[in-house]
Amino acid sequence: MKDLAGYRGRTLEFLRRASAGVGDVLEVKTDWGTVTGTVVPRYASADDSHVVLKLKTGYNVGLDVSRLRGAKVVAAGEKPSFSPSPAPKARPGLPKILLLGTGGTIASRVDYRTGAVHPAVDSSDLHALVPELSEIAMVDSEILFNILSENVKPLHWAKLASRIAKAVAQGYEGVVVTHGTDTLGYTAAALSFALQGIPIPVILTAAQRSSDRPSSDATLNLIGSVSIAASADISGVYVGAHLDESDRGVALHAGTRVRKNHTSRRDAFLSVGVPLAAVWEDGKVRLIDDGPPSEVRKALFRPKPKFSNGASLLKFYPSMPPSLLPSLRRSGTKCLVIEGTGLGHVSSDVIIEIGRFVRSGGMACMTSQCINGKVDLDVYDTGRDLLNAGAIPLEDMLSETAVVKASWVLANTRSAEEARRMMLTNLAGEMTSRRLPG
Amino acid sequence: MMPGDRPGLLVGLEVHQQLSAPTKLFCNCPITKTEEFPFSFERRLRPAQSETGRLDPAAVFEFSRDKPNLYLWSPESSCLVDADEEPPRQVSREVVETGLMVAAALGSGVVDEAHVMRKIVIDGSNTTGFQRTAVLGFGGSLMVDGTKVGVQSITLEEDAARIMGEDERSRIFGLDRLGVPLIEVALDPVSGTPEFVGHVALNLGRVLRSTGRVARGLGTIRQDLNISLDGGAVVEVKGVQKLNLVAKVVAYEASRQRALMEVAKKLVGRGAKVKCAVKEVTRIVPWGGSEVLSKAVGEGGKVDCVTATGLSGLLGWEPAPGFRLGREAAEVARAHSLGGIVHSDEFRKRGISEGEERALREYCGAAEDTALVLVAGEPDRAERGAAAVASRLELAPDGVPAETRGATRDGETVYMRPRPGAQRMYPETDVPLITLPKELLSAAADSVGEPWEDTVKRYTNSFRLSRDLALRLYDSDSAPVFEALARELMVEPSVIASILVEMPPRLLREGVPEDAMNEARLVELLRAIDSGAVAKEAAPDILRALGAGKAKTVAEAVGSLELSRMGESEVSSLVDRLVRSSSKLISERRESALSPLMGELMSEVRGRADGALVSRLLKERLERALKAPRGRQSSKALR
Repeated sequence: MKDLAGYRGRTLEFLRRASAGVGDVLEVKTDWGTVTGTVVPRYASADDSHVVLKLKTGYNVGLDVSRLRGAKVVAAGEKPSFSPSPAPKARPGLPKILLLGTGGTIASRVDYRTGAVHPAVDSSDLHALVPELSEIAMVDSEILFNILSENVKPLHWAKLASRIAKAVAQGYEGVVVTHGTDTLGYTAAALSFALQGIPIPVILTAAQRSSDRPSSDATLNLIGSVSIAASADISGVYVGAHLDESDRGVALHAGTRVRKNHTSRRDAFLSVGVPLAAVWEDGKVRLIDDGPPSEVRKALFRPKPKFSNGASLLKFYPSMPPSLLPSLRRSGTKCLVIEGTGLGHVSSDVIIEIGRFVRSGGMACMTSQCINGKVDLDVYDTGRDLLNAGAIPLEDMLSETAVVKASWVLANTRSAEEARRMMLTNLAGEMTSRRLPG
Repeated sequence: MMPGDRPGLLVGLEVHQQLSAPTKLFCNCPITKTEEFPFSFERRLRPAQSETGRLDPAAVFEFSRDKPNLYLWSPESSCLVDADEEPPRQVSREVVETGLMVAAALGSGVVDEAHVMRKIVIDGSNTTGFQRTAVLGFGGSLMVDGTKVGVQSITLEEDAARIMGEDERSRIFGLDRLGVPLIEVALDPVSGTPEFVGHVALNLGRVLRSTGRVARGLGTIRQDLNISLDGGAVVEVKGVQKLNLVAKVVAYEASRQRALMEVAKKLVGRGAKVKCAVKEVTRIVPWGGSEVLSKAVGEGGKVDCVTATGLSGLLGWEPAPGFRLGREAAEVARAHSLGGIVHSDEFRKRGISEGEERALREYCGAAEDTALVLVAGEPDRAERGAAAVASRLELAPDGVPAETRGATRDGETVYMRPRPGAQRMYPETDVPLITLPKELLSAAADSVGEPWEDTVKRYTNSFRLSRDLALRLYDSDSAPVFEALARELMVEPSVIASILVEMPPRLLREGVPEDAMNEARLVELLRAIDSGAVAKEAAPDILRALGAGKAKTVAEAVGSLELSRMGESEVSSLVDRLVRSSSKLISERRESALSPLMGELMSEVRGRADGALVSRLLKERLERALKAPRGRQSSKALR
């Protein structure tokens, strides 16, 4: 059976008639000459009139099958096989680090045959791409799941948290998680709550440019993150990513205060309202803000890797229909985080619906779409009305962190009072007590 | 065989021509040369594994040089796309159309759907580590001196960043040129003389310009040459900037390759096998006699010795003047940022004594027929350089190794890196496929301008230019302005063409600076001639005055040179005066006095009046003088 990946309709017919499949060398006659090339798969989203041939020069060309006069297979298909260089030998004596793959750009590799970006085949691929890691640590790697980060769900947070908790028991001195950038901040927050008091550093890292590109930021992010995990006296959950647009430094962000703030730049991640936790530059780690001493946290470490699907996040906007709230309630939302304007405001018709939401047994929390600064419901009447309606102001917690925290809280208590108390308690550095200059 | 023919010489020409598009190929940045770059960032490129897990040799070479790249950029010419911080946008319709016009002008076949590819290039000249490129068409031909030269492919591609220098820490690039749209036309290899290859390049440039959609001016066209001799590998020479260097580079490369083949022949004659080894010799001898080596060691560097069996005497041997295997090895070392090498064929000349040589030979276990090459520098770099020199010398029996070389300004070539492997191209998934329906192709064919041969014919027929002047005009950047002025002004087209394309190079040789004769100045001058403010004969003096800084505008120059145009009455009275004072000459020579009188007048007029006017007035006045009765003339004088 021939592989006809991506081809359909007219082109599929054409290839079948020629008994050709992907990988076969096909010779076709156009009205301007004969073209010989290897049939490569078609993007599923592309039209059904062109066959794509990879020429000897490496170029791909698309030819309209309705204009081709003849086609014959001149050489049989050859399945390309990928055999990366083996991961370098581990050096005994170096810190033991676990590298966990979850998918995303950092772990993807282009299929040179199709041009599609595919997830790395296994974790050793990743390690083999950056052999320098073996100079820094004894790295074991493992692929936990392989999905784009927009498909990450609470169940993935739970799986990841459990695996990391096990790594502590296995004696790893640090864990580095590769993850897609899009929802990296959410996962970092989730792990921060599930792994409170973890005695080792857990660093989530990512890439904005896939690792098949010579310019990929994956290399520096991996080297920097593994270096920090192996050598810095820190514990807790962090995000490690490019400090700026240069391949020079990796910034370490606290897991509950980090946000992807640019769609495509390497330095997309920013710490909001707190200083960077650390910077790795010129091979050295500079600690800036490492939180409470790790001994304290070690004593407290009791992983709670459970999450609920009952938390929702709603951004308020001037034309928002208030009916969104009852509709979310009906579809199972138990805790609603509302990203209000300014100090945490919504329109008065929405306040009425918040009151109803709370009276029906739901929990409503306020954050601000300003991103920077804390909400305050005591300054304006609108705020006081919100408090009266039962809204919980979440200080300067990031909206994304708030919805993740709500998901974790809902899974870890059944008491509404306890849930409210937990939402308002600073469990993992998600709130600050003072807003500092700078 | 024609004189200058090189038997077995094959040259494949690739011309890279910048298009005159409003923006870069994959973003909305304007195309402009930036002088001041306010921002910079530093990156490292790594070789990426191909689909088989293998690494490209050229990519590994660049990575082994291990220097980060420093990119300078400015908002006036670059955005996040250039910095590889944002995905590219799709190719503009206009640029695709231009590509199709070139295909039509060359009679090439066009693909139905173009796919933008990533061609791995990790010398730092692309921030991404690859060049985006799409092949549009194949086949077609052009005629050159009566010979048909086939077209291999027509490709749309983005230009690379501009290399601005290299220091100890990094290689420095400016991003203003990165992403500028280019069209690459690759021709079938041709045989013949270097001059013929030069003509091929010239004529292809003319075909490209005939579309009216390509950029003009210095640096907008660049030639790469794939040069080989019978029995040798293909050498790719990159970046021949000037057309007149094509023939020179081909001739240089042919001689170089021939010389390397001679070395290989000698090796075969010796029955020698070349085997290389590298050993560190930093502390084996004191290096006191060699400034290069003692300096390197003094700065904390090391000295590696490459031993190459069978090559003794062949590193310094010159089969042709200037061409030595030793020079090839030195170029390889230089490509690894090392100052140079010292080899055993020149030890005495370079301060290594016989005793030192003996010590080195003994330490390295090198017999008499073995050549030694000393490579010195910063330890890591010296090690990589020595390994590269060893690999190069082992290729000596092959004669000409496949490699990529760069063209120098003098038409020579220097080693850059090994030839890239075949597997270095994969699809650019961020850019949509480009469908090229037949209607688009026929529309492009309709908008292709006049073939260049027809334009040149039109210049000779309608504007009465000589073929030579017409060709010079076509090849210059001034053809469009010539056509506009020739239609608008009353000045003779040949005068316009001559002032635009002949006068500036002539005055340049005299030392008049180029910017004093820019197009705007020349147009101003032609308009002044047209309005009668100045005579065409004064043009060189005006440009000289501008060049010397005596004036800022043409009008000022006219004033400063007292060149303001003489009116007809002024010329007339001048003629009158001269004729009267030359009565003796006139009475003796009659009509033939015209020529000496004309000469005298023109030197007095010094470009302030048109020669034709002076000549007409003088003829009229002379006729009257000759017709007039002599008596009346004298009586008039008595009054």
